[in-house]
Amino acid sequence: MSRGRVLVAMSGGVDSSVAAALLVEQGYDVVGATMKLFCHDGDLPDRPCCSLDSVNDARRVCHSLGVPHYVLNLESAFGRDVVDDFVNEYANGRTPIPCVRCNTFTKFRDLVAKADAIDADWVATGHYARVIDGELHRGLDPAKDQSYFLWGIDRGVLARMILPVGSQTKRETRDVAHRIGLEVVAEKTESQDICFVPDGDHTKIIRQRLGNDAAALAAGPFMRSDGTVVGTHAGFARFTIGQRRGLPGGFREPMFVVAIRPADRAVIIGPREELLGRGIVARELNWLIDAPSVGSHVSVQVRHRASPAAAEIVRVDGDEIELALDEPVAAITPGQSLVLYDGDRVLGGGIIERGHGVRAPLPVRAA
Amino acid sequence: MPLLYIVGMPEPIYLDHAATTPVRPEVLEAMLPFFGPRFGNPSSMHRWGRDARTALDEARERVAKCIGASPDELCFTSGGTEADNIAILGAWRALRDKGRVGVLTTPIEHKAVLEAVHQAAHEGADERICRMTTDGVVDVDAFGALLGSDTAVASVMWVNNEIGTVQPISDLAQRAKASGALFHTDAVQAFGKIHIDVKQIPADILTISGHKIGAPKGIGAVFIRRGTVIEPLFHGGAQDRGRRPGTENVASVVGFARAAELAMAERDEECRRLSAFRDRLEQAILERVPDAVIHGRNAAQRAPHILNVSVPGVDSESMLMALDLRGIGCSAGSACQSGSVSPSHVLSAIGVSPELASSAIRMSVGSLTTEACIDRVADVFPSLVAKARGMTRAG
Repeated sequence: MSRGRVLVAMSGGVDSSVAAALLVEQGYDVVGATMKLFCHDGDLPDRPCCSLDSVNDARRVCHSLGVPHYVLNLESAFGRDVVDDFVNEYANGRTPIPCVRCNTFTKFRDLVAKADAIDADWVATGHYARVIDGELHRGLDPAKDQSYFLWGIDRGVLARMILPVGSQTKRETRDVAHRIGLEVVAEKTESQDICFVPDGDHTKIIRQRLGNDAAALAAGPFMRSDGTVVGTHAGFARFTIGQRRGLPGGFREPMFVVAIRPADRAVIIGPREELLGRGIVARELNWLIDAPSVGSHVSVQVRHRASPAAAEIVRVDGDEIELALDEPVAAITPGQSLVLYDGDRVLGGGIIERGHGVRAPLPVRAA
Repeated sequence: MPLLYIVGMPEPIYLDHAATTPVRPEVLEAMLPFFGPRFGNPSSMHRWGRDARTALDEARERVAKCIGASPDELCFTSGGTEADNIAILGAWRALRDKGRVGVLTTPIEHKAVLEAVHQAAHEGADERICRMTTDGVVDVDAFGALLGSDTAVASVMWVNNEIGTVQPISDLAQRAKASGALFHTDAVQAFGKIHIDVKQIPADILTISGHKIGAPKGIGAVFIRRGTVIEPLFHGGAQDRGRRPGTENVASVVGFARAAELAMAERDEECRRLSAFRDRLEQAILERVPDAVIHGRNAAQRAPHILNVSVPGVDSESMLMALDLRGIGCSAGSACQSGSVSPSHVLSAIGVSPELASSAIRMSVGSLTTEACIDRVADVFPSLVAKARGMTRAG
């Protein structure tokens, strides 16, 4: 007896292919779907339009599993929700994570709407994270954990979300692929690129969208935090907080980007201590559990693969949250995600608005 | 077996005959000897060659007869796309040095024509795209106004593949001829459905294709009227009078001839059968989904096999998936290389709003269609619409 219909988002990679295969084995009525999110047209001669090879791999995997496969054209929504935001964030001197918005809007909103349209009870992806009793947890393999990118999804979706590879390691996923004969994808290398920036140069798409004279790509000053100009850079969109590469030399200690100021195109550099923050403000707050109260102690992560840091919620204002960190954290970067955890359990998150050097006190409550 | 996942479901229903059709058993039977004992190369002088050559010539005569052409006016191609390219680019390249720089077409053509016209423009042609009426028919006066003594070739499809509207080919061809331009028509969707006689319409070049009428994929033909000079796309041997070099696809040509003859013999009756199905499906949908929009419905003449319907607010991608999961195969717009659905250039050209165009579903009936198919689709389609519209899900 079928355990219900599940729409599986399939990229053509090993994780989502194995996810689909495991669901077939578990008795689900599996429908595979590959999202067409962008079109490279002719600008990448060796990569055919619409990541065609990936689509073909996903189709072949579905064929061998004996399940239907569809290509869903989500190009215009993805362009609006993810690519436009990506470009705007860089234009504002911030460092966006498009994967977060893709999960929030494309996979776990638009794709869920398609799942509804075909009567699918469940949606599944190849993410390394786990859903346990309607709550989101880190993937079992700490090296692969992708829960950091999933804080923004609608909490209601968790009830129908299946992440079949989240409770295994990448090696185990590859072993499953071999065991069930998915040789097409079993040893595919992992792409570290942003899917719509396949050659790793994000300035190209900024130039494409904003033009050659975009301020974010125009020359500007390197400055110290006291305002001293120490050099010239070729566009602040090439920098992110904590970056060391491409900075002027000749300083006694290692220098880092500590701030980006789009108003005067300045990239502020300084030594490591200027990189440390003790407080964080984030917006677009989203909870995956009942909202914890101000004063709660949580662990936070300010970038993918950063170690969790202990913090206290000091303020919640609509969709804005402020936390005070127990110990300073380096490179709190506007545009990155702030994700709140309780151990392995994801509580929620937001987009980092700013970090600051002072540990904000708890607000004084009126008696 | 790719259809495993629909076990426990009624027989699947194929409603995409405008995309392609299964090879008819009679056609396959006619072809088989040419994969076996009659394998010769028609250009060889020995007995094997002669045998293949005879079969080829005979097949050429038979296909030519189906459209009222002489055998020497028929050139076999790999299909409709190649034939369209030979027509547009061949005519333009042959005429460009004679001061004829205009290439005129409509915005509802198959991509094979539109892209060939773009290529001609890239080579220096003056691309002219004629206005359409909202009925899905060429605006004949606008067409006339775009013709001039500098027009090399005008190309208008006979039957539109997405909405099934029939274009006034005879009138358009006469106007083109009067201005001295060559006239081409892509008759891929018309062949087997509409009476085609090149003695009655003054088209110079005409495209037909095999796999829409029960012949295999990969075979088509282009009629090139005697005296019409076109520049070949390919260079090589002298096959097909040099118009299309390359060893002839004898088996497919023979199959094409058989399919064409069968289609001609059955045409009137089959068209009655198909248009009755189309009308019945159309009526059933309109009864149960009163705000559904049938595209091309007001055209003076419609091909019998194509029904294109938009249900406002129900996106075609979801609908196509839902239909497929119920075993019903339809299509929408023109498929991209990846297999995803893009909004139809045809619908936007006839003034359909992007929202409505994004909900268009094309159903095309044909050899596999039975009354029972129509009844089931007439039942399933409206119920899927109702569900899509009433969709509210807890959680």
